[in-house]
Amino acid sequence: MRSAFLLFRLSLKRARILLCVTGLLLAGFQALRVHIAASHSANDYEQIAALLPPSVRTILGPSVTSVLSFNGIVCGGYFDLGIVIALVVLSITLATLPAVEIETGFADLILARPMRRHWLITRTIALVLFTILLMLFMILVGTWIGLALFAPPGASGPPAHQTASLALDLAMLLLCWGGVAMAFGAACRPGVARPAASLIAFAALLLDYAQKLWPALECVGWISPFRYFTPFELVMGDPLPVENLLVLGAIAMTGFTVAYFIISHRDISR
Amino acid sequence: MVAKPCWATVSYGDGPVAQQRDTQALALSNQYDLQEHQLAPPLPLESQEAISHESGQNPPASADRTSPPAISIRGLTKRYGPLTALSDLNLEVHRGESFGFLGLNGAGKTTAIRLLLDLLRPTSGQAFIFGYDCWSEGLDARARIGYLPGEPGLYLDLTGLETLDFLAGLNRQPVDKRYRQELCDRLELSHCDLRRRLRQYSSGMKRKLGIIQAFQANPPLLILDEPTEGLDPLMQESFYRLLADVKRGGATIFMSSHVLTEVERVCDRIALLRKGEMVLLSSVRESRRLAPRRVRVSFSENVSAHPALPPGHQLTEKTPRLWRLDVVGPLGPLLALLEGLPVEDMEIEEARLEDVVLRYYREGAS
Repeated sequence: MRSAFLLFRLSLKRARILLCVTGLLLAGFQALRVHIAASHSANDYEQIAALLPPSVRTILGPSVTSVLSFNGIVCGGYFDLGIVIALVVLSITLATLPAVEIETGFADLILARPMRRHWLITRTIALVLFTILLMLFMILVGTWIGLALFAPPGASGPPAHQTASLALDLAMLLLCWGGVAMAFGAACRPGVARPAASLIAFAALLLDYAQKLWPALECVGWISPFRYFTPFELVMGDPLPVENLLVLGAIAMTGFTVAYFIISHRDISR
Repeated sequence: MVAKPCWATVSYGDGPVAQQRDTQALALSNQYDLQEHQLAPPLPLESQEAISHESGQNPPASADRTSPPAISIRGLTKRYGPLTALSDLNLEVHRGESFGFLGLNGAGKTTAIRLLLDLLRPTSGQAFIFGYDCWSEGLDARARIGYLPGEPGLYLDLTGLETLDFLAGLNRQPVDKRYRQELCDRLELSHCDLRRRLRQYSSGMKRKLGIIQAFQANPPLLILDEPTEGLDPLMQESFYRLLADVKRGGATIFMSSHVLTEVERVCDRIALLRKGEMVLLSSVRESRRLAPRRVRVSFSENVSAHPALPPGHQLTEKTPRLWRLDVVGPLGPLLALLEGLPVEDMEIEEARLEDVVLRYYREGAS
């Protein structure tokens, strides 16, 4: 257990610059988002909504008015496409750490000592979880700072339960892609695992958007994990669908299980 | 029979405390005595082993035959699809012994080492470290190993000290900082060097760091893969002295190497792998006996006779006043042959391990 903690601490130490920079950028963007939201009136949002192309309106669905509001813009940090992609990539990068350790030969030095193989995966799960929590916390910090500095009089920001639902939804999505990437990371070289997991994530994202625009694709749309990530409904005030969380959690758990199985059975060689 | 090991804490020399297994705990070694059966030209391995035992050099005095050997490998095979990387390897390395593992690139040396460390899973066979099964009791086995990989995968963004501290923390016993400092001093890795990031290290410095991380816990078994690769001659000398010291302290050394002079100097016994198969297992001294001695005979007058050479003698050069011969075995028959000839001078070159090993290599190539 002590060895595992040391391994976790080392991984965290090595990733600290990446995590700090990403976290600070997220917090900064979030504060900026609040500033932008505060600089527009309700009338401005209606005009922006009217200017939206039909395809975007289709994707947003009935949530368009909720998203294009002060609270909706502030909450956008939890589902902004750029932020979601960046966090999914971060999750994939960290989840494929075992592949990097095997490729570089660092795993040889670790596993030649009295340490079980599964700690490579357990440590990585802990690292991904820690990163997700840290990033969500930084978004929250950015929101607090933004609201404290820029919120217009009378604006209180999104309610806590809505923020928590959005954060949980995003966390489960990131965990899901962490699980998928970890399964690849346990089986392949990092040069294969990272592009493969990223490509699948990108294809799943495209599929999710495509099925919203083209209903004929709904029959295959269910395979995309992004389908179970429903922030727009949450912004509208809908409750967090537990079944969606379960699906994302199940994908993550399957990925972790596959990773555990592969790492305990495979040859550790470059 | 499987008995649970008892542990006793003992210290040797001025080094840190090391754990060694109670020698009464297991009585497995008798099972291993008859395991070297592979046949290979020019001498069957069992004959080679018999010679080794007769020589008195093997097993070394420190080896306790009632306790399990440091390494015991039985029928170890590793296949990658149709490719056999290691085939039916049987080997025993006694406690306190220095064992050299030789072979050309791709012969299976590193595969065997990685199997011992449970980094690779065998297709068949078993391996034990101090009586602990390398797979089912891998943690106990690896707790007794210091491993130096051929190419240590070090993180270049860490400092030398961070790397050593981290790897020391993964051991079961705490590392004696004084002993580590002594290692650093001997390998001339200063405190200032240790505080630098590894990306600023030369390949030789990385090698030194690799050696220190393997030795720092003072393990009873050192598994070293090409240990002097990248070290300058002075550092190689320091390393050999270090090896001699840890061996005197009771440690077992299992090293793979391409440098035959190094093996000749450091090792008690050698095993030679060729295309995944062990073709030679012998003490270093006895291996030399398998090599021809080079004999140069010069004459004071022209000699035109065509000698009828005894078995094991081969004429490699013949001029009227000079013969060069390769002689395997005793020199008596040659001296008898030369009786009556006008011999002016005679030089006999000591047989070298290199000659016998290269002969095996060439046979494999042909």
